Amino acid sequence: MNFICNFPFFSILLSLFSGTICSVLPAKAAKVVNRVVIAVIGLLSAILLLYLLSVGEPFVYWMGHFPAPWGNEIRAGVLEAGMALFFCIIMYLSMAGGAHKLYDEVDESKHNLYYILVNLLLSSLLALVYTNDMFTAYVFVEINTISACGLIMIRQVGRTIEAAVRYMIMSLLGSGLLLFGLCIMYDLTGHLLMSNIKESVGLLVANGEYQIPLIVSIALMCVGLCIKSALFPFHAWLPDAYGYSTVSSAAILSSLVSKGYIFLLIKIIYRVIGFDNFNSTRIIDVLFVFGLMGMIFGSISAIRENDIRRMIAFSSVAQIGYIYMGFGMGTQTGMVASVYHILSHAATKSLLFIAAIGLTEVSGGSRKFADLTGAGYRNKWAGVAFTVGSLSMVGIPLFSGFISKLLFAQAAVQVEGKMLASLIVLGISTVLNAVYFMKTVIRIYTAAKDSPYGGMTFGKMKIYAITLIFFMLVNVLLGVSSQPVVDLIWQGLTMFS
Amino acid sequence: MGPNLFANYGEAVSAILFCIGFTNLLLQKNLIKKIIGLNIMDSAIYLFLAEKGYIAGRVAPIVVNGVTSTEAYINPIPSGLVLTGIVVSVSVTALMLSLTIRLYTRYHTLDLDEISRQLKKEGR
Amino acid sequence: MYMILLSVFFPILAGVFLLIRFRTPLSGEGNASKRKTLVTLTGCFLVVTALFTGAAILTQKEGVTLFYLTKTLPVYFEIDRMGTLFSLLALVVLLCAGFFSFEYMKHEERESRYYGFYLLAFGVLNGLCFAGNLITFYLFFELLTLSSMPLVLHTGSKEAVMAGLKYLFYSLCGAYAALFGIYFLYRNCETLSFSAGSALKASAVAEQGGFLLAVAFIMILGFGVKAGMFPMHAWLPAAHPVAPAPASAVLSALIVKAGVLALIRVTGLFGRDFLQETWVQTAWLGLTLTTVFMGSLLAYREPVLKKRLAYSTVSQLSYILFGLAVMNEEAFTGSLLHVLAHGFIKAVLFLCAGAIIYKTGKTRVEELRGIGKEMPLTMWCFTIASLGLIGIPPTGGFFSKWHLAVGSLKSGLPVFDVLGPVILLVSALLTAGYLLPITVQGFFPGADYDYNTLQKKEPCGLITVPILILTVLSVLVGLFSDNIALAITAAGL
Repeated sequence: MNFICNFPFFSILLSLFSGTICSVLPAKAAKVVNRVVIAVIGLLSAILLLYLLSVGEPFVYWMGHFPAPWGNEIRAGVLEAGMALFFCIIMYLSMAGGAHKLYDEVDESKHNLYYILVNLLLSSLLALVYTNDMFTAYVFVEINTISACGLIMIRQVGRTIEAAVRYMIMSLLGSGLLLFGLCIMYDLTGHLLMSNIKESVGLLVANGEYQIPLIVSIALMCVGLCIKSALFPFHAWLPDAYGYSTVSSAAILSSLVSKGYIFLLIKIIYRVIGFDNFNSTRIIDVLFVFGLMGMIFGSISAIRENDIRRMIAFSSVAQIGYIYMGFGMGTQTGMVASVYHILSHAATKSLLFIAAIGLTEVSGGSRKFADLTGAGYRNKWAGVAFTVGSLSMVGIPLFSGFISKLLFAQAAVQVEGKMLASLIVLGISTVLNAVYFMKTVIRIYTAAKDSPYGGMTFGKMKIYAITLIFFMLVNVLLGVSSQPVVDLIWQGLTMFS
Repeated sequence: MGPNLFANYGEAVSAILFCIGFTNLLLQKNLIKKIIGLNIMDSAIYLFLAEKGYIAGRVAPIVVNGVTSTEAYINPIPSGLVLTGIVVSVSVTALMLSLTIRLYTRYHTLDLDEISRQLKKEGR
Repeated sequence: MYMILLSVFFPILAGVFLLIRFRTPLSGEGNASKRKTLVTLTGCFLVVTALFTGAAILTQKEGVTLFYLTKTLPVYFEIDRMGTLFSLLALVVLLCAGFFSFEYMKHEERESRYYGFYLLAFGVLNGLCFAGNLITFYLFFELLTLSSMPLVLHTGSKEAVMAGLKYLFYSLCGAYAALFGIYFLYRNCETLSFSAGSALKASAVAEQGGFLLAVAFIMILGFGVKAGMFPMHAWLPAAHPVAPAPASAVLSALIVKAGVLALIRVTGLFGRDFLQETWVQTAWLGLTLTTVFMGSLLAYREPVLKKRLAYSTVSQLSYILFGLAVMNEEAFTGSLLHVLAHGFIKAVLFLCAGAIIYKTGKTRVEELRGIGKEMPLTMWCFTIASLGLIGIPPTGGFFSKWHLAVGSLKSGLPVFDVLGPVILLVSALLTAGYLLPITVQGFFPGADYDYNTLQKKEPCGLITVPILILTVLSVLVGLFSDNIALAITAAGL
C-alpha cells in the first residue's frame, strides 16, 4: 500500500492532536499551530487528490488492520480528497479574514479555546468526509455539533448563548433521528460499514423484504441530516447562530459545517442505500418540495430582514434549498449540480460574511442598512468583495453562482416531471436574490451625506484585504473554469458506487 | 401488524420512548425538561440497541469457562455501540447543562421563549 | 486577431482603471487640474477604443474563442454584419455623447464614476455586438444592465435610486425569462452559435413544436423588456430621464437596442420559418403595435421634455420590433434602418434637451417658449431631428417607416398587414403632435414674448459639435438609405 494512503488518517489525527496541544499553548502560538495545521492538511489533501487522479480508483484503509466487516475503515476517492482540500482552503481563508474581529469580540484568554474548537471541527469534518463506518460517522457528527456550538458561543453575549442553545436543541433532534435510523439499518443488515450495508440493502431490495423498516430507516437518516443542515422548515436556529457569532465562526458554520452534513447525506445515498434504491423511494420528492420551498421562503425572509448579517444567513436557507432540489431530481446530473453548488455556495457565503464584517466595521459596528449607507466607499475592499459575492449569488455569468444555476437548469430539463417546477422556482428565487443583494450593493455605494464614520485603508487591514482577494479569486475561478471541477465531481460520484 | 408489534415489544417500547423524548426535546419550554427529553430519547435508542443485541439463552461475551464457540454468546457490537453512545450523550448533556446555567445566571429563567423576549427588549 | 478582444476588454479595463484611480470626489477648487487629467484620459480612452473597434471590424474575419464556461459552452466572439451595424452605431453615438459629457458633467459630482461606467458600458456594448453565440450574448446582456445602472442612478437622489432599482429588476426579470428559454434552446439546438442560422433540431420541432413556440414567446417577452416592449415597459420612462442627459442619450439610443439585437439573434436561432404564421407572431405583432400607439399617446400627454422623449423611445423601439415581427426581408430592412435612424435622432434630441438644461435649467415643455431665439443652433438641430422622427422625407425616419409599411403590406398576414401601417401612420401624427409644438413655440413665441430679456445662450463647441455631427448623420441615413438597405439585405437573417 502506498504511503500516501495514510494521508486521510494522518490529517484526521493531526487536527485532533493539534487541538489538544492548543489547549496548553498561549493564544499566539495556538494561532500559529492552527494555521499551520490547516495548511498542512490542505497540502496533504492536495497530494492525495493528485495521487487518486493518477491512480484512477479509490482505496480503502483499514484502521488497525482488522478486515471488514469488523474493522473500522477509511475510504478515499477523488471527491473526498477534493472536498477535504476545498474545506481546508475555505477554513483557512475564513480564519484569516476574521482574525482581527476575534480580538475585538473574544477575550484574549479564550483564544486558544477557539483554536481548539476549530481544529476539532476540522478533524470531525475530515472524518465525516473520509469515514466508511456509519457509527463513526455518527460520533463525529456529534463532535461536529459540539465544536460548532462552541464556535457560536465563544463570543459571550446573550444572543449567542441563546443561539447556541437553540442550535444544540435542533442539532440534537437531528442526531437523535440519525442515530435511530442508523440503528434500524444496523438491525436490518447487521453491518456498520457502508460497503457491507449496501450489499445487504441490495439483497433486501431484490428480495422485497423489510420494505417498511428500510424506508423508515432511510427517512429517519435523511430527516436527521436535513435538520442538521438547516433545510427549510428546520432553519429557525440559523439566523441567530450565523448572525451574532464572531465572523470566522459564521463563515465556517455556513460554508463548512452544514456542508459536512450534506456531504455525509450524499455518502449515505450513494454508499449505503445505493443511488437507484434511494431514487425509487418517495423521499426524493419530499426533499425536492422542501428544497423548492426553502429557495423561496429563505429569500423572502432575507428580503424582510433589516440586518445585513441575518440577511446573509437567511440567504443560506435559500441556497441549501437549491442543494436539496438537486438531490430531489434523482439524477446524476442533479447530484453533480448539487455538489458543485456546495462548493460555490461555500466559497461565496464565507466571502459575503467576511466582507459584511468589513462593512459593518466602518459603520460604527451597526448592521442596520440605514447605517451602512456609503460603507462601500469607506472600506473599498470589503465593498468590492461584497459586490462580487452578491453578483455570484444572483447568478451573473463569470461567477460561480451562474455555473451552478446553469448546471441545475441542465439537470432540470432532463427530468420530465420536475422540469417546469424547478425552472420556475429557480427563476423566482434568482430574482428574489437579486432584490435583496442588489439592494444592499446599491445601499453601500450610495454616497452618504456627512457620514460620521471614518474609512479604512489598505495598510490597516492587509491580511483582511488579501483574504478577500483570495476569496474572490476562488469565486471567479469556479465561475470561469468550471469544467475541470465538474469533471472531478462526476469522476468522484462515479467512484462512489 | 398486531402480532408483529406484540412479538417485537422491545422495539415498540423503545420507539414509543423515542417519540416521548423527541417531543419533549422539541416542545418543552423549560430547558431542564428539554434536557431530560434528550436523555429519554437517547436512552430509548440504547434500549433498542441492547434489545437487538440480546439473543435469548446466551450469555455475555466474556470467556470464563473455556467455551469459544460464537454460538454461546450474544452479539457484543451493540453493547459497544451503547457504551460509545452513552459517552457521547453524557458529553452533550453536560454541554447543554452548562449552557443552561449560563442563561439562567443572565436571565433568571429557564424558559427559552422568555429569554428570547428579554433579548428582544435588550435590542441587541 | 486580438483586435476584437482589445475592443471589448480595453474599455472595460480603462473604465475600471478610472474608477480606481480617481476614487475621491473631484468637486472643489483645488481639483481643476485633476479633472483635466480625468477628462483627457477619458477622451484618449474613448478615441483609442473607437480605433480598436474600427480595426476589429475591418480586419477580423474569423471568430475568437476566449474560454469555455462548460465543455460545450464557449465564450466566443465573431463579427458578422449585424454586429458591425450595431457596433458602428454604438461607436458614433458613444463618441459624440462622450465629448458632450466633458462639458455637461462639469458641475456634477463624482464625475469619475460616470466616466468609468461609461467606458465599461462601451466595452460591454462591443462585446454584445461581437458575441458569437447566445451564451456569450447573454453574459454581456447581463453585464450591460449592471454597467449602465450606475449611469441611471448617477445623481443619487431618491428618485434616481428608485428608478435605478426599477431598471435593474425589470432587466433582471427579463433576462431570466430569456435565460429560461436559453436552457431549452441549449437542449433543442444543434448549436447556440449565431453564424449557423436556424439551428433547431428537426426532431425537437417535430416532437414538441408547440412547447418550443411557448419558449420562443417567453424569450421574446424577456428580451423585449430591454427594448421597452409592452407590458414590461414601465422602467424605461422612469429610468431614462433621471440620468444625466448624455447618459440618457446613450441609454435611449443604444442600450435599449441591445434588446433589439437580442430579438434579432433569437429569431435567427429559431428561424423565420418556424415562427412565421404562428400564434407567437400574432401575439408579438399585437404587443408591438400596442406599444407603438400607447408610447406615442403617453408622450403626447407628458409635460416634462426628457420624459416625453423617453416615452417616444418606447414607441419608436416598437416600430423596430414590429418590423422584426413581420418577418420578411422588406420589413427587416426597415427595422435595421430605423435602428440607425432612431439611434442618431434620439441621441440628438436628448443631447439638445441636455444642452437646454445645461444653459437654462428648464425641463418642462411649457417653459421652452422662445428657446429657439436663445439657442438657435441647438433648436435647429432639434427641429431637424424631430422631422426625422416624424418621418418627413428625405430624413432617415421616412425611409425606414416606408420599408416597414411596405413590408407589412406585402406580408399577407391577416388583419395586421393593413392594421400595422395604419397604426404606424397614426403614431407618426402623434409624434408630430408632441415634437413640433416645441419647435413652434421655441421659434415663434408669440406676440407677448418679451424680446428685451432675450440673451444668446448658445453653449460652447464641446456641446454643439457632437449634436451637429449626429444631426448630419441622421440626415445622411435618409439620403443614403438605398445603399444602406442594400448592404443590410445582403447581410440577411
